[in-house]
This record gives sequence, C-alpha cells and structure tokens, in this order.
Amino acid sequence: MRSLQVALFLAGRTIFRGNGWLSVTTILMLVLVFLNLVFTPSLLEGVIETANAKLRDTLSSDITVESATPGALMDDADKLVDQIVKINGVDAATPARTISAQLELGSERGTAEVSGIDTASFRDVYSVPKYMIEGSFLNPGDKDQIVLGAQIAGAGKAKLELYADSLKNAHVGDTVTAKFANGLKKNYTVKGIYQTEFVQADLKSLITSDEYTTISPLSKGKASAVNVKLKNDANQDKVNSQIQALRTDIKTRTWQERAGFVKSYTASLEVVNKILRAVALFVAFLTIFIITYVDVVNKKRQIGISRAIGISATTIIMSYVFRAIFYTLIGVVIGALLFILVVVPLEARYPFSFPLGDVLLSVNPGFILRNIEILMLVSVVSAALPAWRSVRGKIVDAIWGN
Amino acid sequence: MLKAENLKKIYHMGDVIVPAVNDVYLEVEPGEIMCIMGKSGSGKSTLLHMLGLIDSPTSGKVYFKDQDVSKLSESKRSKIRLAQMGFVFQEYALLPELTALENVYLPARMLGRWPSEYEERAVTLLDSIGLIERMHHRPRQLSGGQQQRVAIARAMVNKPEIIFADEPTANLDSTSGKQVMEALTWLNKQFGTTIVFVSHDTDDQKYAGRVVHLYDGKLSETMEDQANA
Repeated sequence: MRSLQVALFLAGRTIFRGNGWLSVTTILMLVLVFLNLVFTPSLLEGVIETANAKLRDTLSSDITVESATPGALMDDADKLVDQIVKINGVDAATPARTISAQLELGSERGTAEVSGIDTASFRDVYSVPKYMIEGSFLNPGDKDQIVLGAQIAGAGKAKLELYADSLKNAHVGDTVTAKFANGLKKNYTVKGIYQTEFVQADLKSLITSDEYTTISPLSKGKASAVNVKLKNDANQDKVNSQIQALRTDIKTRTWQERAGFVKSYTASLEVVNKILRAVALFVAFLTIFIITYVDVVNKKRQIGISRAIGISATTIIMSYVFRAIFYTLIGVVIGALLFILVVVPLEARYPFSFPLGDVLLSVNPGFILRNIEILMLVSVVSAALPAWRSVRGKIVDAIWGN
Repeated sequence: MLKAENLKKIYHMGDVIVPAVNDVYLEVEPGEIMCIMGKSGSGKSTLLHMLGLIDSPTSGKVYFKDQDVSKLSESKRSKIRLAQMGFVFQEYALLPELTALENVYLPARMLGRWPSEYEERAVTLLDSIGLIERMHHRPRQLSGGQQQRVAIARAMVNKPEIIFADEPTANLDSTSGKQVMEALTWLNKQFGTTIVFVSHDTDDQKYAGRVVHLYDGKLSETMEDQANA
C-alpha cells in the first residue's frame, strides 16, 4: 500500500511536471489507437448488422414455418397464420406458396422461384415493396402480372452479380413466359422490378396468391411456408417454441438457421475484425512500451539512485504503470468522446455505401467498454515490462550508467 | 556499528581479472566521521557501495550492527538502506520532477511516516541547512551546492544511523564544497550520525575524525603504510 502511494505520488509529479509534449503526444497516440480499435470493428459490425437486417427484411423473416415433411404443403394456412399472429411477441405473419419456374423473355432464359403471396400481410412482414426500381408492387387480386427481382429481370443492369443468368433486359410492361415445374406455361406482364441489393432476395419473382391458385388450384388454402415477423422486444426462442406447439405437422427455422450464406460472409468479416483489433492492440503495446523503454533508459541513473536510497523496485515499476494507466485513461476517454460525439454522427450523415446498402457504425457500449479494459490491460503490461527490466540490474551498474 | 571483513570485489574485464577492493578489513565506530581517501580508480567508491549495501562483495562479509548483511536479499537490503542509512552521491541525484521539499521527504513517505511528520521534518532539515527559502524550487532552479545540501537533507530525513557520501564535493566549487562538508559535520555533531565519506581531495581530510587510504584496492590507515605496501 505504501509502495503504491509513493508510486502514485511519483507518477503524478512526472505527468504534471515532466515533459508536457511527451504527455500530449502519448495521449494523442492513444486517442488514435483507441479510434482505430473501435472504428473498423464498428464499421464491420455495422456491415454484419445490415446484412442480417436485410436477410430478415427481404428473405428469411424472423421465423419460417414449414411442413415437417420436406417439400410438402401445410394445410389450413389461413388458420395457422391466425394462430401465429395471436402469439404474444408476433408482429405479423404471411403465407406463401412457391414453385420453380423457367422464365423466358425473347431468347433469354432464367430460372427463378415464383412465390404466390398475400400482398397485404407480405408488406407487414417484408420491406421488399420499398425497393421498387421500376413499376409498382402487386395489389390484392392482380392477375397475369408478375413482379421480378432485379437479379432475374436483369433490367439492363450489366453490373448485377447474376446478370449473365438473368433475362438481361426485362422491364415493366414486358411479357415474360413462365414454364412452371408442374408443366404449366403462362405469360405474365412485368408489373414491377425490385432491387433490395440482397442477391438471394433479388432472385425471386412474386405473383398474387389468387394468381398462384390459377396455376396450382389444388394448393388453395395451403402454404409452402409461413413467414413470421417478431416485435422488437419479443423473445424469439419463446415464440418459436409456442409456434412449434401449435401443430405437429410443422417445423420452424429461425433467421439465424437460415443465414448460412450470410454466416460465411460475416465470419470472414469477423476474422478481418479480429486481425485489425490485434494489430491496433499491438500498436498500443508498442507505443507505451517504447515510450516507457526510452524513459527508463534515459533515467537509468536516476532509477539506480532511487533504489539506492531505499525506493523499492515495486514502487518504481508501479510509478510507470500508473503513468501508463493515466495516459491510456485520458486517451480512451477523449477517443470515446470523439467516436461517439463526432465520428458516429458524421458517418451517419455521410454513410459508407456497401453493396448491401448504406452502413451505419454499430455503437455497442459493451464493446467500447471491453476495448477500454483490454487497452488498459495492454498499457499496464507494456509499461510494466521495461520498468521491470530496469530494476532487475545491479544498482551500481545503474548509478554508473552501465 | 559497521564492520567489513576480508572484503573483496573482483571485476572481470574479458579474460582480465581486476581486483577493485582486495581483502579489506575495516571497522566504523558509532558517531565517527571516516574519510576514505584514494586516487581515481583506487576502489574507494566500490568499497563505499559495498559498505552501504548498494553492491555485493565477491567475498568477505559486511556486518551492520553485528548482523551479517552481505548476503541479504535485495529487498531486505533496500529496507535497511531506507530506514537506517543515508546516501549522498557525487552528482546531486535529485528527482527533477520533485521540489526540494518533496525530494527530501520522499524516503520518509516510502518509510510510511505520516504527512504531517515527514513534511515537518523535511522543512526543519531544509531550514537547518539554509534552504528554507528554496524548498519549493525544483532541482534545476538550484545551484550545485544547494542541490547537494538538499541531497544531504534527504539522506537525513529518516534519521539514519549512518550516512555514506560518495565524493560529495567533487562537482562543487570550493565555497560550495566547504558548505556541504560543514553540513555533514554539523549533522554528526548535532545528531551523532556516523558519516563515512569518500574523497580524493586532501582538503576534505580535515573534516574527518579518521582517514583511511585505499591504494589499488588495499586499505591502510596512514600514508606511510601505503608507501611501505
């Protein structure tokens, strides 16, 4: 305790009466290290959150309910939807029937899943109608009309990822021919084209539920899937269990279970994230280590004299550790304030544009606190190491500057 | 109070063995002022460092108050140095970030004394050596002689039984050197503190009650002994 008090006293005097420029430069370095430590991970986390949100908003919803028998349709779809929306925590649910089809426009062909949807509840669950780039979305009762995802329509956008396999130049008003998996062939007028920027969602084609019944009369009242959107505060696991308990012939999949392709994408980002954080921490370690090392080398004789007059090695080491803690604390406080009050609002105003759309920095207080803790730990170790080395040698060698 | 028996310190410079202190027997009585004289490189600072537990002998023993302290751990030696010994070095060796007052009371803080106690003691010591007006000055604002007197006050703050001074006047002009030596002798007379100091300046002999000479690491009580050696 006595050693710590003296160490604190020495650290305080050195910080406030020592080389001011060194203190300012050190703190500035640590501010930059902290910003580096939180900025890129927050951006990558923002990308991951955007990807997950897009997945849920355009393709998977929160929970997908399907028949327990693979490929089979669920009976009494409307009743099932009614039961689901009554569960506490469910915001909306929409049924869909889906069939594979080959779409043709002139000599161009493309394969797509065509879904028959209930347009009203579809709008409650998905945000696809907000991403129309041509025409308009389906209305209840629309017949002989189809809405195409941009990746199947092509829409003259040669830069699309799957443009080569699309209809290339389908636009609103064009007539496309659909050859369904059940052998039926039918012409549709393109009512609209949407582009969510999420490739898997943009590969789909949509028709109304009534239209679907004309190509598959026997499926009326049934559903390939019911997609469920939860309220923000809902307990997903609890709702999932309640849905499963409704009927024995259904199974459910959460959005996380359907996010396989997003997972590989986000897993790669996580790896990049970890590498960048490790580099930032190493820079922090080196910064404090070098500053402390140079200081102990310059003050070798002074440290020797201090030890000679009875100042303990622990006190000397701890005085350097306290200095590092002070610099780091000031650095992270300034860094955190800059990040929260300047960088995040600035990025929100001028967001980074990614293929999935605009990405906002993900600010997670827990993440920031965790980084502060890690940075503090790194600074303690990086200051203690050279200080510890400086008190290991003989006192006379230090006094004589050897 | 302090006794050295067959004290040896050997340095290895590559393949060459250099005996810095060779088979020294020395006894320091309580309350005396002893001067260790010798030319540069004669081993006098090495001897002082071993007596003051700053360095370990290659062989031989050091007894402080009848306790063999030559093989103690650095931690225990540090505690003895802090509580019972005082040190004055050739270059004033004050911490530049601390004021004169803070430099003086630092060892007392380390010893765990109360702030009121160590501050009062430090002020009294600075007053007694004529530096009360300069107590809030930093070392760079003090002259060499003033810094060395602050170092003496620091050496005295824990009321040590013995003070070791390694060429305390070497870097000072004659007036400052005189003031420093007078400060040391005043402490000896006032508090009975034992003083062991090293010097190569024959003028300093007059402050000592006993003078020993070190020549090529060997000790003699008189210059004649040295000549016969």
